[in-house]
Amino acid sequence: MHKLTINLEVNGRKINKEVNSHYRLLDFLREDLDLTGSKEGCGAGECGTCSVFVDGKLVKSCLMPVAKASGKKIETVEHQGTPDNLSTLQKAFFLTGASQCGFCIPGMVMAATSTLRNNPKAGIEEIKEEMGGNICRCTGYQKIFDAVELARDVISGKLDPKVLEEYSKPEASYLGANVKRIDAPGKVTGRLKYAADMKMTNMLHMQVFRSSRPHAKIKKLDLSKAKAVSGVEAIVTCDDVPGIDNFGVFIEDQPVLAKERVRYVGEAIAAVAADTLEAAKEAVGKIEIEYEDLPALYDPEEALKDEILVHEHYKTNLVKHIPIRKGNVEEGFAKADLIVEEKFATQPVEHAYLEPMAGLSYVDSDGSLVIVSPSQNITHHRHMMSKIMDLPINKVRFIMSPVGGGFGGKEDMIYQGMLALCAMKTRLPVRYVMTREEDITSTAKRHPSRTNYKIGITKDGKITAVQIKMIADGGAYGCSTEGVMRKAAILGAGPYQIDNLQMDTVGVYTNNTPSGAFRSFGALQTEFATESILDICAEKLKMDPFELRRKNMFVAGDLTHTKQELNSASIGTVLNELESLASWEKGTPNSRGASRKDLNSNDNRDSCFLGARLNEKSEASGGVK
Amino acid sequence: MLRYDNYFIPKNLDEYFNLLTEVKDYRIVAGCTDVLPWAREGRAGNVFIENIIDITKIEELNIFEIQKDKIKISATTTFQKLFTDPQIRKDIKILPQVSVWFADDQIREQATIGGNIVNASPAGDGCPAFLTLNAQAIIMGRKDKDIYERRVSLDKFILGRNKVDLQGNEILAALEMDNTKGYGASFEKVGHRRSLVISTVCVSCVARTDSSGKLFDDVRVAVAGVREIPCRLEKTEKFLQGKEINEQNILEASVLDLDVINARSRLEYRKEVLQNFIIRAIIKSVSDKIIIKENYFENTKIKKLEEVHA
Repeated sequence: MHKLTINLEVNGRKINKEVNSHYRLLDFLREDLDLTGSKEGCGAGECGTCSVFVDGKLVKSCLMPVAKASGKKIETVEHQGTPDNLSTLQKAFFLTGASQCGFCIPGMVMAATSTLRNNPKAGIEEIKEEMGGNICRCTGYQKIFDAVELARDVISGKLDPKVLEEYSKPEASYLGANVKRIDAPGKVTGRLKYAADMKMTNMLHMQVFRSSRPHAKIKKLDLSKAKAVSGVEAIVTCDDVPGIDNFGVFIEDQPVLAKERVRYVGEAIAAVAADTLEAAKEAVGKIEIEYEDLPALYDPEEALKDEILVHEHYKTNLVKHIPIRKGNVEEGFAKADLIVEEKFATQPVEHAYLEPMAGLSYVDSDGSLVIVSPSQNITHHRHMMSKIMDLPINKVRFIMSPVGGGFGGKEDMIYQGMLALCAMKTRLPVRYVMTREEDITSTAKRHPSRTNYKIGITKDGKITAVQIKMIADGGAYGCSTEGVMRKAAILGAGPYQIDNLQMDTVGVYTNNTPSGAFRSFGALQTEFATESILDICAEKLKMDPFELRRKNMFVAGDLTHTKQELNSASIGTVLNELESLASWEKGTPNSRGASRKDLNSNDNRDSCFLGARLNEKSEASGGVK
Repeated sequence: MLRYDNYFIPKNLDEYFNLLTEVKDYRIVAGCTDVLPWAREGRAGNVFIENIIDITKIEELNIFEIQKDKIKISATTTFQKLFTDPQIRKDIKILPQVSVWFADDQIREQATIGGNIVNASPAGDGCPAFLTLNAQAIIMGRKDKDIYERRVSLDKFILGRNKVDLQGNEILAALEMDNTKGYGASFEKVGHRRSLVISTVCVSCVARTDSSGKLFDDVRVAVAGVREIPCRLEKTEKFLQGKEINEQNILEASVLDLDVINARSRLEYRKEVLQNFIIRAIIKSVSDKIIIKENYFENTKIKKLEEVHA
């Protein structure tokens, strides 16, 4: 690899160093200086997890070739404070609970520092605007903005610094109490090590060769040119799996690496471990493959015809059908004054955790296989891994690294198997860090769904019967589909008393990207349909939508749709809170039009605009806003 | 991943032109905010270019001159400079306005106006603003041993998607634009979110009234995002010249150039947004000279648009 020499100052330390000439400033900070507080969330300038100061100006270090940084002064999050000596901003982030998964937080601290350096009196709109280049997936930003405003007021002397220590002491309940988050100091200072931040001596880098076809037989896989790339230590395929090559959260149907055929675009076929990331990438580019394309399924309803099979040996594309039967829907509909039928559809959704998938695997001195990864389900992963690697369970160790956001996306054991194969084969530590693009292409999504909904309701708003059928696209492998269908069925009709219910949720294999766990685990798709149809009913019945829900809601002592007795039911409290917070104007929503009184209430936020820093003097002749 | 063996940072034009003759496989960069995201999966993938040539330190390109009538700024000027420079904020108001909508603060610290122009993206935010300032591209080249300079107006410099009028070893050195002191200005943009977003439609407007403050004197409007090459709205501009500043005239003007839209998707949406943006941008540019009757445009606009479609 070509090198160049750079002279620069990083966090006050003068550095003269030979570096890979193609490195970005971010690579240099992370790989050569081990300043891993700067993260790589996207590598394309979109997320801000890599923000650093260069000669006092905040930039995204993933967009700066290291050669450009020569001669400059660099300041990273590691220079802002230490866990035992936090900066004012870091203390404020700690207090407001702004650091959740923590992955965006070093960048957020940098962006906030920059904002307050540029204008110590920055108002909230200015803060929002100037931090607009940094993304957070956990907080919804409010806690971050609260922290910046708090820090601003402490720095300006408006508030006593003592407010930064004002954590509440929970008495009866921890609910609503602002409890100290013990991991926050490590997160706000960038000291906490996520999987991609970890490094071991002689560590190899793994890269993955993936399918470009939705459904095809692998006719030929030629690794010879890839193996010849200098620095390549091992290439693994399904043939290297010693044990039972199947994994999955509910149904174990997915091979670690594609076996004989590929079932979706992005499916892993071979993994390369090499001494540098560049060599691993080069080798992946030299893998040659011949496919025999097979007809593919993209539509779950089409898939249910079973004319094409995603998994031939199952003889069907049905993953799981969960039925719930309660009362008699025909009788219920007969009692209704109004029957509404609607179709609802939801799309696949990416989890978009800020930390892309990453892991590190090695064989320990006692021969144990160790996998370090941000897994949301390590015990299950360990059991599956023991079977896949044909190792006794006591020889498989999973270590959960900090999860830089999961949202269900890190429940599936998507890449840990490949890492294990490479580590066992080379007997060297192996690290794998997905790029954002690779993560989006190859990891599980929220189940796209189609729901047919029929509801019967009396004219005074009492639900008499509900019939729901949801078909969900499970994609190429089972993953969490079974559990997701179960949750969708159990919770989908909502927290309402329904005497007559017929509920069917059907998960189906297709050749789309696999669908997996995602917050609410299926309930969202069906409940979205339920809440939407209740609003439609409210309009048709000319009834307030809150009232309609109150007439039907569960109360303590009710049985759920699956006959669980409820000791308590909070929907009444939730509805009251919601109605008050939204300044809801009572009545049917469609009866009011543009004159609604609740639209401009104090509780509604103004729409976003840019230009908070274009003050009067610089604005258009008559003002911009 | 972008890989390269050498990263050259020439100090002057001679060094730069010499390099171009010495190395074969090269790419010229400035801010690098486009080239690094480009060399990733889904776009160019893994890219190897033997040599990168960074033009941001060429001394002859260190130009930043604000004169009474014209301003001349280097192609390597960053958008953040346009956002923060006090003189520009005061006199050439469209520039800080387009900048605040351009990417985010951090990318603006690196991204250059020349890079934005030479990329010639149909959705580039800079061009419509520069077009409303009657920008001239100042191009430098070297023939034999002589460095020459030529000028071409920005609307002729952009030839198409990712295509500009640079011949041989020529480089876009600077832009010369009108100093629009006394003009109002407005930049309108919509995309999928607020920061860091590619324009679906964007409109730039600068306008000046006559001394009475009642008539439009010079109105310039340009659009991007809706067609391959950003352009000025000539019929709109001509119509408003010398006309009274009122709602009726702005509305009449707003439909005259909607046929410039030549986008592959969401045509009706873009048309509606474009008309709204034209109206809003003109009003904002003369906003101290006009008080709009409440709901005036909400009630009349749709009908007008339908007439245009018919």
